[in-house]
Amino acid sequence: MQRPLVAIVALGVFAALAALLPLGYLGLRLVEGFDSALAELMRLRTLELLLNSLALTVSVSLTALLVGSLQAWLTVRSDIRLPGLFAVLATLPLAIPSYVLALGFLSIFPWLQGFWASWFVMSIATSPYVFLAVSAALIRTSSTTEEVSRSLGYGKLQTLVRVTWPQVRPAAFASLLLVALYTLSEFGAIALLRYDTFTRAIYNAYRGSFDRTAAASLALILVAITLVVIYFERRYRGDNFSSPVAASRRVPTALGIGRSVAEIGLIVVAVLSVLIPVVALCVWGLSGSSSLDLPQLLAALGSSLSIALASGLLIGAFAIAIAIWHQRFRSRVSATIEASTWVAHSLPGVVVALALVYFGANYLQPLYQSIWLLIFGYLILFLPNALAPISAPIAQVPKSIEQVARSLGLRANQALKSVVLPIAAPGVLAGVAIVSLTVLKELPATLLLKPNGVDTLATRLWQATEVLSYAQAAPYALLLIIIAGVPALLLNSQARKLVSEVG
Amino acid sequence: MAFLAIAGLSVSYGAAAVLRDVSLDLERGQLLAVLGPSGAGKSTLLRLIAGFEKPDAGSISLDGVVLTEPTSLVPPERRNIGIVPQDAALFPHLSVRDNIAFGLRGLGDKERDARVAQLLELTRLAELAERRPDQLSGGQAQRVALARALAPKPKLVLLDEPFSALDAELRAELREQVRTALKAEGATAILVTHDQEEALSLADKVAVLRDGEIIQVGAPAEIYNSPADVGIATFLGDSVLVDGVVRDGKIATDLGNLTPLNQVTEGANGVVAIRSENFYLQPNPGGDSEIVGRVFFGHDAVLEVRTPKLTIRARSNGPFAPEVGMKVTVWVRGSVNFYPANT
Repeated sequence: MQRPLVAIVALGVFAALAALLPLGYLGLRLVEGFDSALAELMRLRTLELLLNSLALTVSVSLTALLVGSLQAWLTVRSDIRLPGLFAVLATLPLAIPSYVLALGFLSIFPWLQGFWASWFVMSIATSPYVFLAVSAALIRTSSTTEEVSRSLGYGKLQTLVRVTWPQVRPAAFASLLLVALYTLSEFGAIALLRYDTFTRAIYNAYRGSFDRTAAASLALILVAITLVVIYFERRYRGDNFSSPVAASRRVPTALGIGRSVAEIGLIVVAVLSVLIPVVALCVWGLSGSSSLDLPQLLAALGSSLSIALASGLLIGAFAIAIAIWHQRFRSRVSATIEASTWVAHSLPGVVVALALVYFGANYLQPLYQSIWLLIFGYLILFLPNALAPISAPIAQVPKSIEQVARSLGLRANQALKSVVLPIAAPGVLAGVAIVSLTVLKELPATLLLKPNGVDTLATRLWQATEVLSYAQAAPYALLLIIIAGVPALLLNSQARKLVSEVG
Repeated sequence: MAFLAIAGLSVSYGAAAVLRDVSLDLERGQLLAVLGPSGAGKSTLLRLIAGFEKPDAGSISLDGVVLTEPTSLVPPERRNIGIVPQDAALFPHLSVRDNIAFGLRGLGDKERDARVAQLLELTRLAELAERRPDQLSGGQAQRVALARALAPKPKLVLLDEPFSALDAELRAELREQVRTALKAEGATAILVTHDQEEALSLADKVAVLRDGEIIQVGAPAEIYNSPADVGIATFLGDSVLVDGVVRDGKIATDLGNLTPLNQVTEGANGVVAIRSENFYLQPNPGGDSEIVGRVFFGHDAVLEVRTPKLTIRARSNGPFAPEVGMKVTVWVRGSVNFYPANT
């Protein structure tokens, strides 16, 4: 049995420890100031935040489930015209960071705020996740099972309830929980729409008063809720029914007169969710173009791109190390490392940033207020995002190819370097690109961890919105959509597969 | 009127006619095989009978009730027709037991359990009752699909190439089990297949479908022995086609004068179709023909024989088949079917 390179082990262990930092920080705060934390938790305000966060999370999740499932069924199973186009339209909101979406609506309706506004914007931003998951499940579901159900005496609606839905349910629930996590940890859109949830309160507690105890106590509750949701997400994810048959041909359900209604409905959703905010931003961008500070924009673009690229490469290196370790030298240790990187997954960016600020200020002085602490924060936040797309292509390289290389005289590590990695390279690069694009859009951790004097597109946008200058914010928002959102959507393999299958 | 009566069924997708004026009758308890190459319209015929599609013309009635007309369609759930799809299409979220019980509605728990148990027994699935579909082999899945279709005692069962995804050995075994199960249930069934062996061995009645038209209907032996045209003759097993002319009631060919099985007109030109197993190769050092190729299958062998005028493929009893290079005399056993040219 050959061992992995020392470098691989070192990177893996480092990443695993880094992932445990945020939880460690919260634990530390709890031990240090248990009484004050308890006092903070017992405040009425905390209860209000809890109810607000839960209300938003539950309502957004259910709305996304309804809208996304309906879009999925109509595109995959009904006889609407141009299903490929509607599939693209339904995934488009993925190209717009949720705070940009919120900004787009706010720039037309400045009075938008509170629960309903947040509900509306977050539902638009998250429906595509349900849409993609349910569409994929519907495509996997053989429509022959539906015909069998009909032949056994069940009508269309009964068949939908008893045969189609049970087969789609695991995927739908998994995406529902994903949406819940997304909503719980969302900061930008909700803060813009001035709705009080945990993330906004944590940020304000820290930013406004540097009250770390209050911030940490609130973070603790948020993490507790998040962990509950993650637990369920883990439990239900991957519980898909492996269809024993290759997807058979689909027989579209004729909607009759309902077809036009459905098409109009889908168009309305697309217009609401994408067209209106983007057009609004374009109009503001044009109207403010005379006063646009171009050097500032270019500086922000430059630092955004360089930070995103550096983070992507660094996170990619860690992800490759862990993927190789776990895929090719699988052991109990590698499994532990892999699992612990997931601990920080779905932790709200605000919480991770808070932890790093604390460690930076107290133990890592040289790093504090440096770009490295920011990149370290991205590593904790996005390593799990990189691990999945980077592991898959490495796992897919057949073991037999590696064995052939070994039989031709290469040692295990040589075989990895000269055979496995070159074959997996395109997938690995795609993974790096996806992470870089995610970094580009990240807002709360960037706000809290960026060194003074460095500004990215996202932070410039934020500063402009704080003074309610939509014209100033619009170019940054549009640039984020163009360089981060659209490429991310194009790289989304789930979306691409879906469009090619229904189109 | 027959139990199942299909009359003048036609359907086309766009410009392409898929079925043309298809008529078929089936009596209660009979098993009909619809035999045809892929693309002949077999699956479309089943989908029309099941009620998933609407014809352009024609009608389908079952047990005296009109189910399908171009103007009105009884929906699939009210037809009482069971289907066994090609890929089994078991409900992946239900166990084998629940799959079979799915169509049993309006029964008490006790009756339903009894009926499911009976079907599990019939299809030899009792030990697998609690399994999930993804834990079944292809043959097991097909048996569950059959049991599920039979459970509500449908008036008619439709089987769409149910054995095509299985390997040859399993196919033969399952074929027998399916026939037994259908007969035990007294079910009326239609099986579509492109496999002539399957059609001939399973069915009480075979209908040959080609390019959307029914070309011949009859008992299996009738179809095999007297194919209606050269196309069917070559589709159903190996046939050697030899040109011939009718003279004095016999057919003069390069293989000698042969006796026609069907009615022939004096002087007509055409071809005869001779089944490869109907050649008799008599070893004869002085014979005018020579074995030039031999493929051995165990139970029989296919031999390539060069006769003075043409080369034929003949089937011979395996262990006793002549070797390559041997001289033989070629005889044709029995009578042959003659197909005049331009028909």
